[in-house]
Amino acid sequence: MIKFSNVYKRYPGEMDALQDISLEISSGELIFVTGPSGAGKSTLLKLISAVEKPTSGTIIFENQNLNYLQKNEMPFLRRKFGMIFQDHKLLFDRTCYDNVALPLAINEIDPSDIGRRVRAALNKVGLLTKERVMPMSLSGGEQQRLAIARAIVSRPSILIADEPTANLDRGYADEIMNIFYSFQQVGVTVIISSHEIPKTTIHYKEFHLITGNLQNVPLLT
Amino acid sequence: MFRFLHSHYHAFVQGLIRIKANWIGSVMMFLVIGITLSLPATGFLLIQNASQISNKIQYEAEISIFLSKDIPSEQINFIRSALEKNTLIKKIHFEPKLDAWEKLQAQLKLSSIEDGVSKNPLPDAFFISLNTLETKKITTFIADLKTIEGIEEIVIDGGWVKKLRSILYLVKIGIVILGCLLLTVLIVVISNTIRLQTLTYQNEIEVSRLIGATNAFIQRPFKYTGLLYGFGGGVITLGIIKIILASFNLVAHRVENLMGGNITLKAFSLEQSILIIVIAMIVGWIASYIAAKQAIHKLEKNY
Repeated sequence: MIKFSNVYKRYPGEMDALQDISLEISSGELIFVTGPSGAGKSTLLKLISAVEKPTSGTIIFENQNLNYLQKNEMPFLRRKFGMIFQDHKLLFDRTCYDNVALPLAINEIDPSDIGRRVRAALNKVGLLTKERVMPMSLSGGEQQRLAIARAIVSRPSILIADEPTANLDRGYADEIMNIFYSFQQVGVTVIISSHEIPKTTIHYKEFHLITGNLQNVPLLT
Repeated sequence: MFRFLHSHYHAFVQGLIRIKANWIGSVMMFLVIGITLSLPATGFLLIQNASQISNKIQYEAEISIFLSKDIPSEQINFIRSALEKNTLIKKIHFEPKLDAWEKLQAQLKLSSIEDGVSKNPLPDAFFISLNTLETKKITTFIADLKTIEGIEEIVIDGGWVKKLRSILYLVKIGIVILGCLLLTVLIVVISNTIRLQTLTYQNEIEVSRLIGATNAFIQRPFKYTGLLYGFGGGVITLGIIKIILASFNLVAHRVENLMGGNITLKAFSLEQSILIIVIAMIVGWIASYIAAKQAIHKLEKNY
């Protein structure tokens, strides 16, 4: 599904954020990208989701070389991913409902389907009763769940979450992780970056990064 | 198609929300556009009224055709019949050289002997009035006349209306140039306002890009905001012009009562009023397009 071959990423004026990364992700896998701060976890996720381009190397997604992707094709590729950002990136001037409806508007989904799908997504993350609430009044855990609802509403085949539990206490963090596991169970590829691997009985693959280098690839449990 | 229209409706509503969210700024923008556009629009209105007045002036293009001194009478008859057949000619008057000579002598109270002029120096002449004022037609007509044998000289009279129209035309060009400059100023002003808006909505632009929005999708609400600014500004322009006209006509009415005559400025037609609003909307659209494109271009550098 996703294949990295000798991928490097360098930001102007900096050292290589990622060096010689080669990895493969298959459909339906649960992937943890781990490592300390500054190891290149977020950069790896940005490359996977085509938010950024590699400095060198090849990234193949669904048999398509992303190096040859045209600028105007990028948005359509990104729609295949459900993105959950560390800082949520919610729109605080819009209600929970409108936040979740945004990807559907972008995808030009049939307007008659939007309400049903938004409520289904909110229900999935336990926020159905808060559809008219502004995100500002939600707790940190609820905001993260809202971000998940926005990521899943367009039914992506891949969920990518950048440190989704970083600022949450254990209770909230477990709740959030269980939501991700439930999606992986129904065949969605889930890629999560995290400082450490949460306790889980589900099979997963780990990519451990240290200063931009991939260590012991891959660790399977 | 329905989804596409819904997407535009969604962007239109977003544009309205943005205008409402900053309604004081929006009202200021309407006023800026309205006042700026009202300057050239008022100029055009005055020119339009002046042109209409100049068209009403009772004026006939008069042409004097002087014939050769030794022209045979058959040729004079030929020219007369040619002139009579021409549909452009309203009136024809033939002045034989003898009559003209007698008139001149009577006017100057001279006799040819006293004045030392032994021969009649005047030629036979036709004096004609045309039923058109169109320069093109008159020029073609004169060119045709010049080809006829026996016609020595053609003199066109009454150029002052032409001069007046030329002045009005020059003023009109001046107003077009002024209008273009003011429209450019408007594009810069609206563009700057929309640019500030893109900073306010930077988070939304960024999120939208990250989750797969096309540039067109991101630009759309800003374009609708620009269109709405233009619409509001255009309506204000028409309002300002209406106030100016009402004030002028009120004063003019008092002058009419004192001095007589008919001095009333006519308003823009419905089509012209719609055109003003459309121009304002186009300006708003161009300005917002430039601003939104710049904002996206900046983000593209980051992602």
